[in-house]
This record gives sequence, structure tokens and C-alpha cells, in this order.
Amino acid sequence: MLRDVLAQIAQVLTVLLLSPLLQGFILRYEERAQRSRGPSLLQPYRDLRKLFRKQLVVPDTASWIFWTAPIVAFTAMLTVPILIPVLTNYPLPLSDMGDILGGGLVLTVGTFFVNLAALDSGSAYGGIGASRTVMITILAEPTLILVFVGITLMAHAMLPFVVNHLLVANPAIYWGSTHLFLVAAFFVLLLAETDRLPIHSSTHIEVYMIEEARVLEYSGPLLALLKWSGMMKQFILYTIFCHVLLLPWGLSKLGTVLGVAGAVLAILIKFGIVACAVIAVETTQARLRFYRYQEPLAVAFLLAVLAIVANQIR
Amino acid sequence: MSMAARILVLLLSPALAVVLGLAVRRARFSEYLNLAASVAVLLVALPLPFVAARPTTFLDGYLLVDPLGAWVVMCVAVVYLLSSIYAIGYMRHDASRKARLPLFYALLAGFALTMLVAPLVNSIGVYWIAIELTTLVSTFLVGFERNAESMEAAWKYIIVVSSGISLALLGTTLLYWGGTFVYGETYQLTWASLVHAAPQMPPVLLKMGFLLTLIGYGTKVGLAPMHTWLPDAHSEGPAPVSAMLSGALLNTAMVGIVRFLAATDAAGQGALPHAALVILGVCSLLVGALFIVRQRQIKRLMAYSSVEHMGVLALGFGFGGTLGVAGALYHMINHSLAKPLLFFGAGNAMHRYGSKRIDDMRGVWRMFPVSGTLWLCGAVAITGAPPFGLFLSEFAILRAGWGGPYLWAAIAMLVLLIVIFVAFLNHFRAMYLAEYPADPGEPPVRAVPMERDSWYAGWRVLPMALPLVPLLLLGVWWPASWTALFHTIANALGAHP
Amino acid sequence: MNAMLATHLDPLAASLFSLLTIASLLLAFVMLGSRWLKDYMLAFAAQSWLIGMLSALVGYYGGYRELYWVALLTVLFRGIVLPWLILRILRRLNTARELHEILSTSTSLVIGAAAVIFALVVAMRLTADLHIVSNVVVLALTVMFSMKLIGFLMLALRHEAISQILGILVLENGIFLGAQILVPGMPLMIELVLLFDLLVAVACFGVLVRYLLTHIGSTSSRDLRRLTG
Repeated sequence: MLRDVLAQIAQVLTVLLLSPLLQGFILRYEERAQRSRGPSLLQPYRDLRKLFRKQLVVPDTASWIFWTAPIVAFTAMLTVPILIPVLTNYPLPLSDMGDILGGGLVLTVGTFFVNLAALDSGSAYGGIGASRTVMITILAEPTLILVFVGITLMAHAMLPFVVNHLLVANPAIYWGSTHLFLVAAFFVLLLAETDRLPIHSSTHIEVYMIEEARVLEYSGPLLALLKWSGMMKQFILYTIFCHVLLLPWGLSKLGTVLGVAGAVLAILIKFGIVACAVIAVETTQARLRFYRYQEPLAVAFLLAVLAIVANQIR
Repeated sequence: MSMAARILVLLLSPALAVVLGLAVRRARFSEYLNLAASVAVLLVALPLPFVAARPTTFLDGYLLVDPLGAWVVMCVAVVYLLSSIYAIGYMRHDASRKARLPLFYALLAGFALTMLVAPLVNSIGVYWIAIELTTLVSTFLVGFERNAESMEAAWKYIIVVSSGISLALLGTTLLYWGGTFVYGETYQLTWASLVHAAPQMPPVLLKMGFLLTLIGYGTKVGLAPMHTWLPDAHSEGPAPVSAMLSGALLNTAMVGIVRFLAATDAAGQGALPHAALVILGVCSLLVGALFIVRQRQIKRLMAYSSVEHMGVLALGFGFGGTLGVAGALYHMINHSLAKPLLFFGAGNAMHRYGSKRIDDMRGVWRMFPVSGTLWLCGAVAITGAPPFGLFLSEFAILRAGWGGPYLWAAIAMLVLLIVIFVAFLNHFRAMYLAEYPADPGEPPVRAVPMERDSWYAGWRVLPMALPLVPLLLLGVWWPASWTALFHTIANALGAHP
Repeated sequence: MNAMLATHLDPLAASLFSLLTIASLLLAFVMLGSRWLKDYMLAFAAQSWLIGMLSALVGYYGGYRELYWVALLTVLFRGIVLPWLILRILRRLNTARELHEILSTSTSLVIGAAAVIFALVVAMRLTADLHIVSNVVVLALTVMFSMKLIGFLMLALRHEAISQILGILVLENGIFLGAQILVPGMPLMIELVLLFDLLVAVACFGVLVRYLLTHIGSTSSRDLRRLTG
């Protein structure tokens, strides 16, 4: 029992501490794929540390939402790892607080508050960022829900742990068309939600920004919290992608220290593979025009529908 | 003459016309060769329905000569002869086209060949292929005058009809699948085997297959709302081609629908199919009526009249019963006699006035004393007025529908036929008796030099006079031997009086 | 009693058939969702290859020798000759993609997904009425109907001549796919003649496209507006 609680805490800490590493990996090897040097792997840690030490500047027009939004987002990102399989493949204490759908909703709460905060300060770029983010969310969320529905239909359960067991035990279902279509659909959604090309929010030019524009008014520790929660969201989506869909192996079965350490190592390897795939896509794709963002998302929607159809005929 | 010899002459004559015409590329030779082939075909085809009382199969069961198929072949042969005669005069009008005339006549004979084969085909899959072949050959005929409008018409024709009959292929596949429930995996899907297997086939598959083939072949027949290719294709082709398309081709597709209907009747599932056919018939009549009222172009007017008459045919077969079938078959031959007459008159008028618009054609009686009268008789005939044959056939179909469950359709047919009568003859009234609209000056009749010798006029007027005699005859006398033939066909189709 | 092949398949054959069928459907969606005419043609060629492979597999598992010939001819004619003919037509055209859209590609993809759901419902009810308990049959019927609907979608929503030709070919491909699984015992002659007929049809299309280019100046149906009423 105590071991399980410790494993649960370890899950949250893993997400907290390893998410900047994932971001660093993607940024570095993206540059390396284009034959430039790239920043160091640990650069996001250094950025966060720098930000925590900086002075906090708050606009005059900000209200309580400005202060609470980063905290809500950060807390939401800390809550989701409790619900999903990060280190162990059996449910840990309090992981029945929410199923797949619940996890998705908690993720969305954080985004929602950040959108509110972007509008709260009254700056023009905040409004642009919030409206663009919401537009992409409108296109992507139904597809995400449909993917979750497909997963649920495939496994006849809404818990991610059951899906994980099913895929490990049944190669026929793993290699079946339902699962493959769901993987493809979720991959497109992963690209969209983690802001990778072909849907990309520029980090320098404000007019092209989508999600970055929402946080332009923030500084100091609050900005650090927001950036960290963004990185944690990416890590969580990768976790769901790998542990529920694509690579369900490598999780600790009993929760021993050795097992957990092995799970952490496996996470590094698996996420590295997926990150390499994402980098490959990002390097070969050009950025799409904004009004064409519906196209990859429509493809994801289509793939999810095909997965459900294939499941019904299975 | 044995049946095999008849069929051989029937099919070989146009085939020879194609081959020889392409080998000897001379315009005059092609004209007369085609004419000779069409005469031979008609001589063989005229008695064919009456000697084909017992169905006989040829070519290892791939060809079937039964009364229904022979009747349609007779209609096709009549139109082929009339078109061949008219084409000689019509195509000589434009001297610049002389080099391409052998190709035209080869295509015409090839088109006739495919239309003669299609009603005689026994296997359902091969029937589909025959219909597809008629489409492919006639597309090039429609687009023969290589200008922008003909190309547009040809493109629309081939795309709409090809996609439409692919639905029929789906229906055929489903019916074949249904047959595997009865016969096992491999068997020859002939009309007879379909009728035989239909009672034991799963009803849902039979009905679904029929509806798909109805829509598919209905596209080819020109039933609304799948008729969208028809006005374009029939108006842009040369007049003899339009006559063949209208008078012959639509019938060959109708044969398929009728034979599928017989299969559903044999299985006792005939209620839905008959209702569907009746609904499509009424739609066609409605569309025809609406577009005839405000029509501006003369050949499109005739084309919409074809849509209307195919609707009447569909109603005839849809109402069912011996009377309905008999009326529909009588309608087939009368339509095949009258429609070419109309298109030929339109072709003459187009060449004389230099325009296709009705508003540009005035004072037709002054221009064409003889053929104008014939044309007017044709117009009166095609709208179903006595004493021409179409009146009797439409009356028979009305009576067939009056007593049954489709009274609403019969009333609609009556009303729409009256509307079409008024509207159609209104256009002719304008052309014959009215003056030019709004312009008090010279009528815009381009001084197109009339045909230099009277031979041309003969070629153009003779095929208008020829069908008028049978039309009048059939309008006052329904031959008793034909009644016996219709009874045989109706029994073969499973229609109960 | 129905001795249909599709109802008595061993699991490996069933999953192979399912994989090939669904991949064909996916290629149909690739055709629906792309704008470049060359992509259509390549997707169609790939689809024909898959259907040829399916033919060969059906022949292998069902013991139909003649289906090997059908598979070979399908791959040859539908998979190589037809795309090559269409490529020749493409080279003469002065457009490489659909310029104007009636509906954006994403909307047409969503409509295509709705068509697949509709086809699934129809197929499930049909097989329930026929008392057939085979998933491969449901899948075959679904894909056959879906490809029909997607083919009509392509015909309706695209205005380039090549897209319309390919829409008709997709229609035929769908029927062929369904026929291979549902009625593999169809007489060989019918299948062969259908194949050749398709070839003749595409040749006619090619000639007509050439005439369209010469006399109208473009192959887009947006320019075919002379005949009205």
C-alpha cells in the first residue's frame, strides 16, 4: 500500500521532472536534423530556473484570473498523471478518480483558464492567441473525443489500464485495423496539440503566434509555471499515446523500486522514438496556412471514424 | 428462312457496313452501303416478332430471341432505316464535312449494331456491356460536329450515363449474389435463370437489386430525375443521330428494366418495383411538361418530348397487367415512328433558318409546303392526338392505370399529357402561323442556298412521309395479330390481367 | 444452403481480406481528400493493385484457378495500363490540380466519413436480413457501398475532367472489390469482358478530353455552361 502511494508520487514527479527533458530533446534534435548545433538538452531546466528568479510584472488591467490561471493549469497538469499509467500498468491509489475521458477534461480545464487569462489582460495579442487556440480546439476536441470513443469501443472499458492490458495480451487486436487507425488519428492530434508543424505557433513573430500569444503578458514565476505546464501537457499526451496506444510495454508490473526505475528508463527510450517520429514529420512538413488547419484534423476525424467502423465489423 | 439465318443477316449487315465503309473511304459509297444495310435489317426485323413465338437461344446461350426482344429490334430497325435515308440528305448539307462522312456512317452502322444486339442478349452481365458499348459509340456520334456545344453535350452524356449505369452494374452484382443462394457459386445468369431463381432469392436482395438497376438503366432511358444528359445529347447531335438516340436507344434500355421487373413479379415482390417505376414515370412526365412549356430551342423541345414519352412507357410497364404491357409496347412502335419525323423536320428547319431557336423560325408553311405539313402531322401525332397511333397507346395505358392502385398516377398522366399537348402545339403554332416577335423589318432568315437538286429534297422529305402512313393506320386499327403477340409477351413477363 | 466462401474463412484469410479491403477504402479517401490530379491517379493505381492482390488471395483460399488470371489482368490493366493512359491525358492538360473547390477537402472528407457510416448501417441490416454471420461479408458490402458513394462524391464535388473519369473508375473498382469477395464464382468471361470494356471506356474518355481541350479550351466543367434549359 505504501509502495503504491510512493509509486503514485513517483509518477507525478516523473512527469514534473522529465517533461523539460522531452522538450529539450525535441528542440535539440530538431536543430540537429537540420545540421545546426541545437541547444543543450538541459536548456529548458535552465530557462525555468532563470524565470523563477526574475521579477514579476503584472499589468494594471489584470484581475484575479491573471493570478490563478497559471496555478490552475499547473495543478491540472499535476493531477492528470494520477489517472493514467505512467510508471505502472496497474491502477494506483486514487487513479479511479477519472477515466480516459476524465483525464481529457482535466487537461482541457488548464487550457481553458489560460485562454481566459489571455483575454483578461486586454492586450490585442492575447485576444488573437486565445481565439486561434480555441478555433483549433474546436476542430481537434471532437476528434479527440472520437478517438477516446474508439479506444473505449475497442476495449469495452474506459480505463486506460484495461486498454493497456488488452493490447499487450492480444497481438491480434494490436495489429488490427482499429488500433492502427486510432494510432494514426492520435498521432495527428498529438502534432496539433503539442504545436508541432504543420500546425505551428511561432515563438518570435507575434502575428503568427497561436498559443504563445496567450502568455505574452506573463513574466517571472508565473511564466515559468505556464511554460512548465505546457511541457507537462506535452509529456502527458506522449504518455497517453505510448502507454495506452502505441507502445504499451515496459511498465512496471509490481511497483518495486527496480521496476519503477526500469519503467523510467523505458519511458526515455519510448518517448525518444516517438519524438524522433515527430521530428521527422516536423522537418519534412511546411507550415500550413491557418485556414487549412482543418485539413489534417479532418483526416484525423476520418481515421477515427474508420477505426470505429472497423471495430464494429471486427 | 431459319431463325439463325435471320439473326445472322440482322447482325452481319451493319457489321459489314462498318468494315467496308472504313475500308473504302468514299462518302457516296458509305451512304449507300449504310442504306442497304438498314434495308436488309428492316426486312429481317419486321417479321421477327411474329416468328419468334418460341424463344430460341444462339451462341451457346448468349443470344436469346424472344418476342419482347424481337419487338424492340423491330423498333430499332425502323428508326435505323429512317435515319439512314435522312442522313444522306442532311449530312450532304455541309460540304466541308465530306471527308469525315465515311467515319460518320461507320459509326452510325456500329451504333445500330450495338442497339440491335442489346435486346437480344441473354446474359445479364453481357447486357450491361452492350448498353455500355451503345453509350461509347453514340458519344462520338453526338460530338460529331466538333464544336464547343457538341463537345459539352458529348462529355455530359458519357459521364452521366457511365456513372448511372455503374449503379446498374452494382444491382446486377447483387442479383448475381442473390442467385448464388439458390444455384450455388457459379452459374450463368440469364434472364430465364433470374426469373426462375427469384422466388427463392432473399426478398431484400431482389428488391435492392431491382431498385439499383432501375436507377441505373433509368439513367440510360432518360427517366427523370436522371434525365439531365438527354436534352443536351439529343439536341447537339446531328438530326439523324438524335432520331436514333431518341427512337431506338431509349427502348433498348427499357427492355432491361422490364425484364428485371418480370423477375420481381415472378417472386411476388412486385409491389415496390411497380410503384417505383410509376413514380419515376410521373416525374418524367412532370419534368417534360415543365420544360416543354418554356422551351426556346427546337431540338431540346423534341428531347423533352422524349423524356415525356419514356415516362409514359414507364407508366405503362409500371401499371402492369396485360393492358399496360400491351399499351406500352404499342407506344414503343408508335414513338419510334413519330419521333424521327419530328427530328427530321427540326433538322430541315435548322438548316434553312440557320438557327436552333424557335423564335428565329417563323412562317414555316411558306418555306416548306410539303415537309412542313408532314412535320405538323408529326407534332400532332407525338402529343397523342387522334387519329394517330400514340393516342390509342396512351389511352390503353390510361385504362390500365385507371382501375388499379395507381389512380393518382393515371390522373397525373392525364393532366400532364394535356399540358404537354397545349404547350408543344403552342410552339408549332408560333412557328407556323405567327409573325416574328417584335421586329417589323426583314425576317432574319439567312439566305442559305437551298439544296441544289431535288434529290436532296427527296432524301429529306421521304423519311418524313414514310412513317406517317403506318402512324395513321395504327391510329385507327389495332391489328389482331399484334394483340395476340402482346398477350404472349405479357404472359412471358408474368403480367396478370 | 449457402456455401459462400466468405462465410467459411479461416482467421488469417479473414484478416488479410479485411486489411486489403480497408486499405482500398483508405485509398479512396486519399483520392477524395487531395487536390493534385497526379495523387488521384497514383492512389487509384495503388487501389487497383490491392484489389488485384485480393483477387489472387480469394482464388488461393477458395480454389478458384481462374481468379489468378483475373488478378493478373486486373493488376496489368487497371493497375498499370489505365494509370498510364490517364498520365498521358494529364500531360496534355494545362492544370495539375483542382483550382476551384465546390467544397473544401476537409468538408468532403467528413461527408465521406458520413457515407461510410451510412454504408455500414445498410450493410449490417442487409446481412441481418440474410442471416449471414460473417464479418468479412459486412466489410465487403460496406466498402462496396462506401466506394460507390465516395465515387459519386468525387463526381459531384470535383470539376476537373480527370477527377470525373477517376470517380467513375472508383465506382467500378468498388463493384469489382465487392464482387471478388461476395461472388468469386462469377463466370470468367463476364469478368474479362468487363475489364476490357473498362479499357475501351477510358480510351474513349481520353479522346474526348483531347477534343474538350481543342474545342472548349479547358477540361473544367465550370466552363461547360453553354447548354441550359
